[in-house]
Amino acid sequence: MRGEATIEVNGLRKRFGPTLALDGMSFTVRPGRVTGFVGPNGAGKSTTMRVVLGLDAADEGTALVGGRPYRSLREPLRHVGALLDAAALQPSRSARGHLLWLAHSQGLGARRVDEVIEQVGLRSAARRKAGGFSLGMRQRLGIAAALLGDPPVLMLDEPVNGLDPEGVIWIRGLLRSLAAQGRAVLVSSHLMGELQGTADHLIVVGRGRVIADTGVTELIAAVSRGRVAVRTPEPERAMRTLARAGATVTVSGSDALAVSRSETFAASGNGPLTVSGGEAFAVSGGEAFAVSGGDLLTVSGLPGERIVALLTADSVPFSEVVAQRATLEEAYLELTRDAVEFHAGTGREAVR
Amino acid sequence: MTFAYGWRSLARLSRAEWTKFRTVRGWVLGMAVAVLVTVGLGLFSASGSHSSCGGPSDVCPAVPLGPGGEAVDDKFFFVHRTLDGDGSITVRVTSLTGRIRLPDATPGVRRVVPGVEPWAKAGVMIKDGTRQGAAYAALMVTGRHGVRMQHDFVHDTAGGRSGVSQAAPRWLRLTRAGDELTGYESADGTRWAKVGTARPAGLPAAVQVGLFAACPGDLTVRQADLGGAVAALRFAEATAAFDHVAVRGGTSGGSWRDDDIGAEREPGGAIHHPGGATRAGGVFTVTGNGDIAPRTDGQMVEKTLSGLLAGLIVVIVVAVVFVTAEYRRGLIRTTLLAGPRRGRTLTAKAVVIAAVTFAAGVAAAGVTVPLGAHILRANGDYLLPVGPLTDLRVVAGTAALLAVTAVLALALGTVFRRSAVAITGAIALVVLPRILATTSVLPVDASRWLLRVTPAAGFALQQSVPAYPQVTAFYSPQAGYYPLAPWAGFAVSCGYAVLALALAALVLRRRDA
Amino acid sequence: MRELRAEWTKLRTLPSTFWLLLAAVALTVTVSAAAAAIVSCPSAGCRYDAPKIGLSGVQAGQAIVVILAVLSAGGEYGTGMIRTTLTAMPRRTAVLAAKATLLTALTSAAGTAAVLGSVLAARLILPGNGFVPAHGYPTLSLADGPTLRAAAGSVVYLALIALLGLGVATAVRDSATAIGLVFGLLYVLSVLPYLVTDPYWGRFLWRISPMNAGLAVQSTAHLSSLPVGPWAGLCVLAAWAGAGLLTGGLLFRLRDA
Repeated sequence: MRGEATIEVNGLRKRFGPTLALDGMSFTVRPGRVTGFVGPNGAGKSTTMRVVLGLDAADEGTALVGGRPYRSLREPLRHVGALLDAAALQPSRSARGHLLWLAHSQGLGARRVDEVIEQVGLRSAARRKAGGFSLGMRQRLGIAAALLGDPPVLMLDEPVNGLDPEGVIWIRGLLRSLAAQGRAVLVSSHLMGELQGTADHLIVVGRGRVIADTGVTELIAAVSRGRVAVRTPEPERAMRTLARAGATVTVSGSDALAVSRSETFAASGNGPLTVSGGEAFAVSGGEAFAVSGGDLLTVSGLPGERIVALLTADSVPFSEVVAQRATLEEAYLELTRDAVEFHAGTGREAVR
Repeated sequence: MTFAYGWRSLARLSRAEWTKFRTVRGWVLGMAVAVLVTVGLGLFSASGSHSSCGGPSDVCPAVPLGPGGEAVDDKFFFVHRTLDGDGSITVRVTSLTGRIRLPDATPGVRRVVPGVEPWAKAGVMIKDGTRQGAAYAALMVTGRHGVRMQHDFVHDTAGGRSGVSQAAPRWLRLTRAGDELTGYESADGTRWAKVGTARPAGLPAAVQVGLFAACPGDLTVRQADLGGAVAALRFAEATAAFDHVAVRGGTSGGSWRDDDIGAEREPGGAIHHPGGATRAGGVFTVTGNGDIAPRTDGQMVEKTLSGLLAGLIVVIVVAVVFVTAEYRRGLIRTTLLAGPRRGRTLTAKAVVIAAVTFAAGVAAAGVTVPLGAHILRANGDYLLPVGPLTDLRVVAGTAALLAVTAVLALALGTVFRRSAVAITGAIALVVLPRILATTSVLPVDASRWLLRVTPAAGFALQQSVPAYPQVTAFYSPQAGYYPLAPWAGFAVSCGYAVLALALAALVLRRRDA
Repeated sequence: MRELRAEWTKLRTLPSTFWLLLAAVALTVTVSAAAAAIVSCPSAGCRYDAPKIGLSGVQAGQAIVVILAVLSAGGEYGTGMIRTTLTAMPRRTAVLAAKATLLTALTSAAGTAAVLGSVLAARLILPGNGFVPAHGYPTLSLADGPTLRAAAGSVVYLALIALLGLGVATAVRDSATAIGLVFGLLYVLSVLPYLVTDPYWGRFLWRISPMNAGLAVQSTAHLSSLPVGPWAGLCVLAAWAGAGLLTGGLLFRLRDA
């Protein structure tokens, strides 16, 4: 594989008239893993990708692919494969013709074209006019174009858009296998759910800058804050014991798990009850301390084994100790809450 | 970045653009239409052109050809004798007068007034016999262009600027030394100034030496009602008086003979517009009409390429759409991903569209010119003959004009990104000036300027017969004469294309895709 | 008529409409003025047709009218908006009729402004170039019958050119091709008569060329030598425009959008 498989973005700034599209965007995409590039609409994902690909010029900052600016690459498609806009083709040209001219521009032959056509499963449609393609077929054609130069770096903007469920599964597998071959794969999406199970690493952006640059596992752990659910018939004793050991304990209520997860996070910060280490009954949110009904506690700050050991040592009965994990979607919403540019005018407005 | 790499990369991008071009059926079809419409309209206009020479047989007299193969007028009155080997002729010209026929005031009544045509000519000549079109060199006084030395119809060298009168006669001397003829002039017959030398093609040892007089017709140009202009030539003649006539060298005792070279006979057998000569006491008075010059009366082969205007419009449309189609759906982004050096990508596009249109132009002109010429001849039109190299230049020039126009259109398409604006712009720059210059009511000077300063200047590449300043004719764009020389005109067109392409590259580089 | 209103809103909310109309007026007046400034009539007299010179900018201005007309139909095909249009207004003939009506109105308005400007410019410039009563050229005035006919005919000419453009664009559904076709019909057919030497063919071609025949309406002198009379010439152009619209309309009705 040619060149280093990295994308380095450093301090990009770009203004479109009155709007600041990029405001100091910086991150690095490393080889061997699928990096998710997420953020709400208008966060600057596409602009960043276009700057990396030399389509747009940044007002400030640098963007390097394999250590070099895109415009200086000799055979750019052999360094980076990109899918930006699947509709960006000429309707009257056949799919094969489209790939063929691209191949010729990189000194590649027709054989490589047929290979990628086969790879994306377009063989039967290759000689048809691309203008008649469905969105999903165009998406496959765009991916074929990205794969054409067998590049060490891949950048795909919303690749699952318009694909049917089978196509979605196919592309997830493809992305994982490309990363497993040691390539750097950057996949953008505005829906975190699309990336769950695909991305190893995440770059979360909002308002033109990076909000989080972290592994998926770390991110979930961070948002979960190592929470462990403890079911106990004696919540007061359990809380006392665990708080003494330095844990933060929240009473979740008996049916807390049924409550929608996102709601839990939307309310975080003024949660129902928080008991912090050192103080036995710190009540926040000004609400009365009432745990009588609750027999499910959410504990953070202590690993599960330690909780079990502490409760056993103090002879507090418990029926269940489960490590709780946030979903990627929750983590994302938590991170981008302030960065969303356009809120739907429901909910919050209606409450006020 | 090495130079060789740059070329390889350009070659690759060009190949990609070629693949792009040929995989869109509409564009390939467009090129075919451009060829067909050029050929079709050309042949149509050729078959709509008939001419006949009248008379019972309706056979046109053969047009003499000069030593260079060009059609010539070779009609004058010649008083001559044989000169064997080296020698010279010396004369004194004491007057040059003439008569010009004006348009009839009363129909059928000739109106002839005294006057000397600017290119009325009389003087001494050495010619390879009396055959029309034979090689010659002549030293002469003219009506308004001073002393000239001319040879083999197309060559002209200026001498002194003064005219001739009784008070200020002019001495002329033409000498032969081997293949070289030299002309001298003098005001007094003692101090001689060299006018020029000439080497007429294939002059034999024995030639005819003598005095001559000729006079081209009087040219009037009138505004045509439907646009353009109508030129008319009316009869004019010149009379010159010579004395001190001296021939040195091997004259072998032969006497003077009179010949009305190229005289046309009327059906009754009488000579139409006869010349004449008288001799009295060493004074020769020679009267002649006609001209010794390249012929301008006849069709030019590029007339058959008139359909090119339609072909140009099609080529402009295809060239503009070749780039604006990229903007319609955002394909330009994919193109720039594959070739991020935007100037080079644009160059590759220009190379491809230029090559494709050049090939189409060669096909169109290569078919039209020989076929159209055949049709014109079959219709009785006289086609001014040109050499194979000129034919080649007309064909290749037509193709080059298409190519350079396509590049200009491509550049405009890149700058404007809108096909409607770019197509209109390119047509306004290339096609319109040519139409305005050749068929509108514009004065001839304005037409010439249009064909000098607009990209339409490149049409000059098609002009097969050059304009000769020493020949009286209406050299207007409408008649097929361009104000700039072929390559100069093409250079103007290329200049526009290069400028537009540079602007397009600049814009493309500055702009976010 | 709902279609008319919708099409009018569509046209007026497109900034290019205004600019194109302005450009048509400006170009017509500029070229007319330039032509008037370029010709001169020496004291020996000349054969120029003064009103025709003063209105020669129409030959350039019509190019902009063609763009406007072609884009009003072809532009919708370029962007795919035609599907939205036909979803909202399924009566296709009515849509085309609305477009034709609006184009006629707009080009007539712009054409009137352009022609008035041209006549005014020529009236001011021509006398300075020898077009004076002494040389047989009275001051250009719309009170003069033939001059008024030339001016009014030029406005009608521009409107008919717009309709021709609309018809062709509707028929071929692609702005670029339509523009090339219309310019070919106008400009190439206009020079064809000069390229054949056979006088019969020449006059015939002149008579069927939409631009030559249509602009015969501008002639005020040497009328007898024209291959076709002023109003008859305008009818030739009207026939072209009608044929174009009819073809476009039929295809528009019969074809899938």
